[in-house]
Amino acid sequence: MAKKIFKFISSMRFAICLLILLAICCALGSFVTQNQSFAWYAERYSERTAAWITALQLNDLYHSWWFLGISLFLCCNLLLCNIIRLPQLILRTREAGDPSGIGGAQVQAYAEHVDRPEELFQRLHMPKPRRTELDGQAALFSSAHRAGLWGAWVCHIGILLLIAGFTLGQATHQEYAVYGVAGQTRQIGDTQLFLTIDDFQIDLRRDDTVSQYTSQITVRDLSGKNALSRQASISVNHPATLFGYRFYQNSTGWAARVRVEKGDEALQDEVLCAGEYLPIEDLPDLVIFFHAFYPDLIMDPAGGPRTASGQLNNPGYLYSVYYQNQIVGMNVLTGDETITIDDYTVTFSEPQSYTVIQCKRDRFSFLALVGGLAAMLGLFLAFYLQPKRVWAVSEQTGGWSFHGACPKMGALFRDQFEEAVRAISE
Amino acid sequence: MRQAENTLFTIVMLIYFASMILYFVFIAIKKDRLAGAAALLQTVGLVLHSAAILLRGLAAGRLPLTNQYEFATCFAWGLCLVSLIFIRRFRFPMLGAFAAPVIFLIIGYAAMQSKEIHELMPALRSNWLGVHVSTAIIAYGAFGVSFVLSIIFLIRDRLRDSSFWDRHVPTHEKLDLISYRSVCLGLLFLTFTILTGAIWAERAWGSYWSWDPKETWSLVTWIVYAVYLHLRIRRGWRGKAAAVFAAVGFVCVIFTYIGVNTFLPGIHSYA
Ligand code: HEM
Repeated sequence: MAKKIFKFISSMRFAICLLILLAICCALGSFVTQNQSFAWYAERYSERTAAWITALQLNDLYHSWWFLGISLFLCCNLLLCNIIRLPQLILRTREAGDPSGIGGAQVQAYAEHVDRPEELFQRLHMPKPRRTELDGQAALFSSAHRAGLWGAWVCHIGILLLIAGFTLGQATHQEYAVYGVAGQTRQIGDTQLFLTIDDFQIDLRRDDTVSQYTSQITVRDLSGKNALSRQASISVNHPATLFGYRFYQNSTGWAARVRVEKGDEALQDEVLCAGEYLPIEDLPDLVIFFHAFYPDLIMDPAGGPRTASGQLNNPGYLYSVYYQNQIVGMNVLTGDETITIDDYTVTFSEPQSYTVIQCKRDRFSFLALVGGLAAMLGLFLAFYLQPKRVWAVSEQTGGWSFHGACPKMGALFRDQFEEAVRAISE
Repeated sequence: MRQAENTLFTIVMLIYFASMILYFVFIAIKKDRLAGAAALLQTVGLVLHSAAILLRGLAAGRLPLTNQYEFATCFAWGLCLVSLIFIRRFRFPMLGAFAAPVIFLIIGYAAMQSKEIHELMPALRSNWLGVHVSTAIIAYGAFGVSFVLSIIFLIRDRLRDSSFWDRHVPTHEKLDLISYRSVCLGLLFLTFTILTGAIWAERAWGSYWSWDPKETWSLVTWIVYAVYLHLRIRRGWRGKAAAVFAAVGFVCVIFTYIGVNTFLPGIHSYA
C-alpha cells in the first residue's frame, strides 16, 4: 500500500493533476478580488457567498493553506520524480555516446554506391563521426546533443528552486514603507536603520506628465558600535541596495506645513502629509485630519473639490476636525483661509511633494532567480538539443547501411534522414 | 511620420487580406503555385509591416510596445513571422492558409484600437520593456502557430478530396510534431518573458511577483503548456488530447492579452 502511494506521489499522472489544479486555482484567484474585508464581499456578492469566500480563504487565495499545500505536493512530486530518474538518466547519457550500447534504430536505409559515407553526417548536422566496429564490420558513429537528455531534469530542478525561493521569500521577507519630505529623517520600521530624505524631485514633461521621481537618501545604520552612513539616489526603475536592504522609489503625495497658533504664540509647526492626523497638543481631545491636497483647486458643483492640473495655481487643503473621535467639521481651505477653534488658529501653507520609499529585504529572491534561469536553461536543452545518433555500417555486400535515431523528432527526423541518404547515394 | 505610419498600416492590412484571399483561391481551385504566391505576398506584407512598426517607434521616440494597439500590431507581426518560418522550415504552405485569417483578425483588432501616442509613465521607462515585450511577441506568435496547427490536426479527418489535402497537409504524426515544435518555441520565449517581467517588476514595483491578473494569467498559460508537454510524453495522449490542450493554451494567451485588461484591472492595466 505504502509503495503504491509512493509510486503515485512520484508519478507524472499526479504531476499533471497538480498542474491542472494549480492553473485552475490561479485563475480563480484572478476573478475574486483579493485581500478585501468580509463586508466588501458581502456587498459585492451576498452574505452567503462572502461567508464561503472567507471560509475557503478565497480572499487571500495565494497565501491560503490549500494553495500552499498544492505547491508543496508539487515540490515533493518533482523532487521524487527527479531523484528516481537520476540513475537512469546517467545511464542513458553514457549509453548515448557509446556505439556498443546502441539500441534500435528508428530509421534505417541501405545504399549500394556511396563514396563518402561521412557526408551523411554532415548533411544531418552531426559531429564528425568516429571509426568503430559493429558486429565485426567497419562502422562510423556519431552522437549529438547528449546534454539535451538533461533538459527536463534541469528544468524541474529550476522550478523546485524557484518555488522554494519564492515561498521562503514570502515567509521571511521584511518590508517597510517610509515617507516624508526633503529634510526629514525616519526610522525604518523596527530596524536600527534611519533614513534621511535629502532631496525629492519630480521631473515633469512639457505636457505636465511625470517622467521621473527621484529621491536622494542617506541611510544610517546605528546597530553597530560605529554608525555607518551611505547615500544613494533612487528613482522608479532604479532602486539601490544599502545595508542589505533594497530601496525603491514607490510613489508620491502632497504634504503641507501646518502651524497651530494661540494669539501670536506659535505652538506647533509641522510638516503633515495628506492622510496624516495632527493632534492639537493644547486641546487633548481635538485632532485635525489632512485628507487631501488640490494644487489647482476647482469646486465642481456635482463632484466636490478636484484639481484642474498639477500646477500650484490655486492650492486647496481638504481637512476635517475630530473632537473626541467624532467628526465635527470638514472643509477646504484656500488662499489665506485658516481654521479657528476658540483662541487657536490652524494654518496650512507651503505645499510640497513627499516621497514614499519602499524598503525591502528578501534573502531568497536570489534563489528564485537562479531557479528561473535554470528552468529556462532546462527548457532550452530539452527543446533545442534533441539527442540524436547516427551510424553507418560497411556491409559485406559492398554497400553501406545507415541507421539513425532521434526519438523526439520522430517522423520529421525520418524525412530528413531519408532525404540525406538519397542525396548521398545519387 | 504619423501619417506615413497610418498609410503603411492600411496597406499592410490590405496585403494581409489579399494574401488570405489568395490562399483561399489556392484551396478552391487547387493550384499549387498560388500557395507560393500567397506566401510571397505575406512576406511582402511582413516587410512593410516591420517598416510601419519602425516608423511608429521613430514617431514616438521609443519602442512601440506599450499599449493595446502597439502590442496588437506587433502580435500580428510575430504570428506572421513565425508562421512564415514554419511554412519554410516544414515545407507546409497550407499552414499559411489557416494562419492568414488569424493574422487578419489580430491586425483587424489592432485597427480598432486607439492609435494615439502617449508619453510613458515612469514605471514603463526601462530597458527591460524592450526585452520583456519583444519576447512576448515571439511567444504569442509561436502559440498562434501551434493553435492553427491544432485546428488543422483536429479537422484533418474531415477534409474531403483526399489527394489534394494529403499532398498539402502532413500526417497526424507530423502535425503533432510540428505543433510541438511551435509550442517549444513559444514556451521558451514565454518563460523568458515571465522571467524578464519579474526582474523588471522588482525594479519598478519593488516586488518581482505580486499576483497581478496579468502575471497570474501568464502563469496559467505557462502551466497549460507545461501540461501539454507532459501529456505528449504519456503514451496514448499524443495527438488529439495534446492538440486540444494546445488550442486551450492559445485561448489562455488571448485571455491574458485582451481578457485581463477588459475584465480584471490591475497594475498591468496600461497594456
Ligand atoms: C511545474 C511544472 C513543470 C514543468 C514546467 C515541466 C517541464 C518539463 C519539460 C519542459 C519537459 C520536457 C518535455 C519535452 O522535452 O517535450 C518535462 C518532462 C518531464 N517531466 Fe516535467 N515539468 C513540470 C513538472 C513536472 C512534475 C511535477 C513532474 C513529476 C513527476 C514531471 C515529470 C516529468 C517527466 C517524467 C518528464 C519526462 C522526461 C523525459 O522524457 O526526459 N514534470 N517536464
